[in-house]
Amino acid sequence: MSDSRKNAHRTSLLAVAIPAAVVLISLIIISIGAEWFAPYDPLQQSLRETLQSPSSRHWLGTDDLGRDVLSRLIFGGRIAFVAAVEATTIAIVLGVPLGLFIGYRGGWWDWAVMRVVEAIVSIPGIMIAIVIIAILGTGLHKAMIALGILYSTAFLRLARSVVLAEREEVYVKAARVVGAKPGRILLRHILPNIAPPLVIQVTLTIGAVLLAEAGLSFIGIGVQPPDASWGTMLTTASTFMALNAFLAVPPGIAIVVTVLSVNLLGDVIRDSLGRGIVVGKSAATLITNDFTPKNSIQEEIPQENDSNATLKVKGLQVEVSTKNGEEIPVVTDLSFEISKGETLGLVGESGCGKTITGLAILDLVGTGGRATHGSIKLNDTELRALSAHQLEKVRGNEVSMVFQDPTTSLNPAFTVGEQIAEVLRTKQGMSTKAAWAQAIKLISRVGIPNAAERAKSYPHELSGGMAQRIAIARGLSCDPLLLIADEPTTALDVTVQQGILDLFRDLQDEFGMAILFITHDLAVAADICDRICVMYAGEIVEMASVDELFSNPRHPYTAGLLTAMPHASNRNPPLPTIKGTVPTPQLWPSGCRFAERCEYKQDICDQPVPLQNGGRLVRCLRADEIDLKEAQ
Amino acid sequence: MLRLIGQRLIALIPLLFIVSVLTFSFTSLLPGDPVDLIIGDEGSEEQYEMVRERLGLNVPVFERYFIWLGKTVQGDFGTSFFNSVEVWDSVMQRLPVTISLAASSAAIALIVGLSAGIAAALRPRSWIDRLSTLGATFGQAVPNFWLGLILAAIFAVKLRWFPATGFTSLTQSPIEWVRSITLPSLALGFSSSAAIARQVRSAMVGVLQQDYIRAARAQGLSSQRVIFKHALKNALIPVVTVLSFLITILLGGALIVEQVFSINGLGSLAVTAVRRQDIPMIQGIVLVSVLIVVFIQLLTDITYGYLNPKARSA
Repeated sequence: MSDSRKNAHRTSLLAVAIPAAVVLISLIIISIGAEWFAPYDPLQQSLRETLQSPSSRHWLGTDDLGRDVLSRLIFGGRIAFVAAVEATTIAIVLGVPLGLFIGYRGGWWDWAVMRVVEAIVSIPGIMIAIVIIAILGTGLHKAMIALGILYSTAFLRLARSVVLAEREEVYVKAARVVGAKPGRILLRHILPNIAPPLVIQVTLTIGAVLLAEAGLSFIGIGVQPPDASWGTMLTTASTFMALNAFLAVPPGIAIVVTVLSVNLLGDVIRDSLGRGIVVGKSAATLITNDFTPKNSIQEEIPQENDSNATLKVKGLQVEVSTKNGEEIPVVTDLSFEISKGETLGLVGESGCGKTITGLAILDLVGTGGRATHGSIKLNDTELRALSAHQLEKVRGNEVSMVFQDPTTSLNPAFTVGEQIAEVLRTKQGMSTKAAWAQAIKLISRVGIPNAAERAKSYPHELSGGMAQRIAIARGLSCDPLLLIADEPTTALDVTVQQGILDLFRDLQDEFGMAILFITHDLAVAADICDRICVMYAGEIVEMASVDELFSNPRHPYTAGLLTAMPHASNRNPPLPTIKGTVPTPQLWPSGCRFAERCEYKQDICDQPVPLQNGGRLVRCLRADEIDLKEAQ
Repeated sequence: MLRLIGQRLIALIPLLFIVSVLTFSFTSLLPGDPVDLIIGDEGSEEQYEMVRERLGLNVPVFERYFIWLGKTVQGDFGTSFFNSVEVWDSVMQRLPVTISLAASSAAIALIVGLSAGIAAALRPRSWIDRLSTLGATFGQAVPNFWLGLILAAIFAVKLRWFPATGFTSLTQSPIEWVRSITLPSLALGFSSSAAIARQVRSAMVGVLQQDYIRAARAQGLSSQRVIFKHALKNALIPVVTVLSFLITILLGGALIVEQVFSINGLGSLAVTAVRRQDIPMIQGIVLVSVLIVVFIQLLTDITYGYLNPKARSA
């Protein structure tokens, strides 16, 4: 968090804390000096002045017996104050020691007490209070004992959990400091740990006690008339509602303002103790942008390509917005084509923009990201010109995607069969029955035995490899023209990776779709791809067929990747790595983005480098001069 | 699923046992002799023995517990200390009223909470998001019975849209039932709807960031389908847990809100019983409430299992 944001956060905390504290402090002062502040005796009746509206004599009017409402309100404040202190103290005194004890003692004690606590918690709180009041009798102090017992369970659980959390560590320490009793060390450990949650629990309890006291007094089993409490005042208000509705206002507002102040102050304390959950603003923007309609295209889309490739990406630029609202490009000047039945590999280190490229084709970048320049053509359709609704039709039907981790890309709440059948129903308009049958067929096709049985499984019941096969089956369910596979083998066990790659090859032979295969693993790319696009820091640095790229890399980065690739034959010498790290988009130089890490860097590398086509697409000014083979 | 239900039922046994022991021991916890309480100061020695025997106080406490338990299990909750009314009958007469109030509040809380929560999750920092945050803050501070008073003052006394007091049962007249239950359930359901809205919002925001949501969109499923089917089913999982907790609170709150609208439910029965220290009546009310709460928790567990397949096999 930046300093300015931290300060803004602190200011908003203070804006809440100060008024809340002022309210509570004045309430305490007024309660203590109630005799001095109240204009009348709260019990003094005046039967000639009953149920009056506010006037200069009685600022808040009078009740059914002609008593001054303002005075009663002030004395009611004293009762609320006493009630809160009394019940909270009882709750702490009962709950904390017992919680510490059972947490420390464990075993049978712990089990039995916790079962009783669970039983108490499962009964409505008011019911517990009613029962205890039935035993003790009515009245403020008895009612507060009841509430104290009720809320002690919260303190008990809190103290117990702190002890349990500290116990393990304490025993280890006790063993080290021979002779020290664990009990003493435990106390020293627990005090600092229990203080913050205890303070928070106290604020929560005070708010709850205030409401409960008012409620119990309202139904007539707490404070007894004629004593003024905010609850009993509301009982009066309830009875005489038809005659003077205003009677309900002062005590109600008093309760709301007091409880609100306690809660808000509690929130502030919680935040400043560092346990507050700050609702992430970035998360918020992520969702909005995910579901807002596609922004209109800002510039002319180049319309020249006339090759008959399935997917033609030209001059694509993708930007994401940062937390400060800045738009920064993460992929620039990206062009490639994939033909029917061809597999193009998009290879690079993590963070180079390859996944974002895949998502940008479907306009699913999220996080406020989208394609801002260039063209994405599927056969003859410009995807960037489509409306959100038209694009929705393209997704699944013509372009679909398989993600890295099948355990997170399949919905955990539905059976795998349903997830495939759903696509068939909604995208192909199949009937429920036909879709299910087709789903089973697809599951069987991707090499899962017992497909009919397996279709009824939930994702968590399948192994990673099997789940990925399901995800592939779903991706292919509508026979798309293009399949984008984003690191589909990375999350899988090495032993099943090969099976998945073979499956891709088989399915491509059968369905004939174009595949954009995104991976960081050159070995995988070599296995499955026809051509490879090497990406570095948001741009293509080299593109060639697999054989050419491996035998004769022209960009120093490609060469570096190849050297860093583990070979089964010579494992003994340590793997060479490319020194340095990929610069983040904000730090991209205007010249060659790889220059910082490149051994061949010269002064000319400071100027922008176009993708050159001298028999090979390479983004390096010195590609023709340097001899990378030798370096290898 | 059956296994889940079975497990839950078994887990209930210790809970019910403890509740029954606690409930039973009220009698012994009473200050003074319940017999004196019943016959008063003027009772004779024979009267005393008679009442003592009628209450079964002449046998040892363990035996008494099992006798009491045996009767209770068969629905015999004994008779009130003050009249010969069967506790079971009184409770059953009042129960539907309280349940109908708690249930309609829960329905309001669910409908309002779900729609506001989803809307807030989809449009963070919009007016509906701010409103539900504000509602949640106030919901924790506004006593439901006061809200009831204010609603009654405005909509019943002033505008006369709804009756200010009383309750008409659903079987008697559905329209009158709706009229009599609207204000109390709004008063009771308000804070819960705000609480549910906050829960739904935070769960939904979390779920919408998941991979499977993006994957579902990559399959070309419509936004509605992704939000209301794929996201909501997952987002409801944490909400269900809160819901079972809220229903317990609603049931308790109903006891107080009933008093505002002079609805003769369990609340007024309990208050009268407490004032008279009518122990069998209180025992009956507590036991029935616990059974209802336990039943609702079982229902939420089953719902949880339905929503979350992982919980079923666990």
